[in-house]
Amino acid sequence: MILLIKKNMPFNSYLKDKSFTMTNAKINYKNIYYPPGGILMWIIIFLELITFGMALVAFVYYGKEQPELFHHSRLQLNTAFGAMNTIFLLTSGFFMATAVHEFKENNIKKSSFYFKLTMLGGLLFLVVKSIEYYDKIEAGISLDTNMFFSFYWLLTAFHLIHVIIGLVILVWTNYGMTKKNSDTVVEDVEACAAFWHMCDLIWLLLFPVLYLIF
Amino acid sequence: MKKSLVFTYGLLILLTVTTALISNSTAISRVVVGLIMGLSAIKFLLVAFQFMEIRKAHIFWKTSLLSVLGLLLLVLIFS
Repeated sequence: MILLIKKNMPFNSYLKDKSFTMTNAKINYKNIYYPPGGILMWIIIFLELITFGMALVAFVYYGKEQPELFHHSRLQLNTAFGAMNTIFLLTSGFFMATAVHEFKENNIKKSSFYFKLTMLGGLLFLVVKSIEYYDKIEAGISLDTNMFFSFYWLLTAFHLIHVIIGLVILVWTNYGMTKKNSDTVVEDVEACAAFWHMCDLIWLLLFPVLYLIF
Repeated sequence: MKKSLVFTYGLLILLTVTTALISNSTAISRVVVGLIMGLSAIKFLLVAFQFMEIRKAHIFWKTSLLSVLGLLLLVLIFS
């Protein structure tokens, strides 16, 4: 157990007094049930990685069956945009990790500042992705253009949805952290960060497979 | 700002630039695909171990992540 015992405190008060139990307790990350970000978040992360992974395997499988189609389609993608988005997400991830570090050091204002920089990275990703999607639509490239672009639209759109959800979580966590009488604890911030980094992990697999290897 | 985070970030950018140079300069072959995916795997692990701090976690989580990544790469490169 990681809870500290408060003298003369009724047991059921521990369950209600979340701020006491969480902020005053040190998390033992080596405990299998308490990875950084929480076990539930890591179960979600693994499920997402496996789901996107299976989709990428299917993509590569069809790519081997139609190599010329996939190569010519790949050439229609804007690799520079993809590389820019990689830089934006990696930079955003750096700011996210720094925000968590500052929160653990009890520098809430600094942490909030880095939260905002993290969100900026996410927004820049959305802007570039929107431009990329606009270009594709203008060129008449849609979901049913061919097998390559079916995968392209589905994979990148699902990833984009995750980025949008991640931004919402960031906004919510930052608000909770900076409001008066905040009860945001380090587990909340770590879980938020873990989800955001998951978006980065997925993109690090998506980008080379979609944009580079065919 | 934690120095290890800054170092990790610098390394990630360097690996991204290296991947871009490799993909632009050579024709795509199985070796190049392996190289590109290998560099992406290193970046993946840097984000997971340094930014997500999975290095502090129980060995179960570390090996699970490595196993999922390894299996995925094997299938992607050799399928």
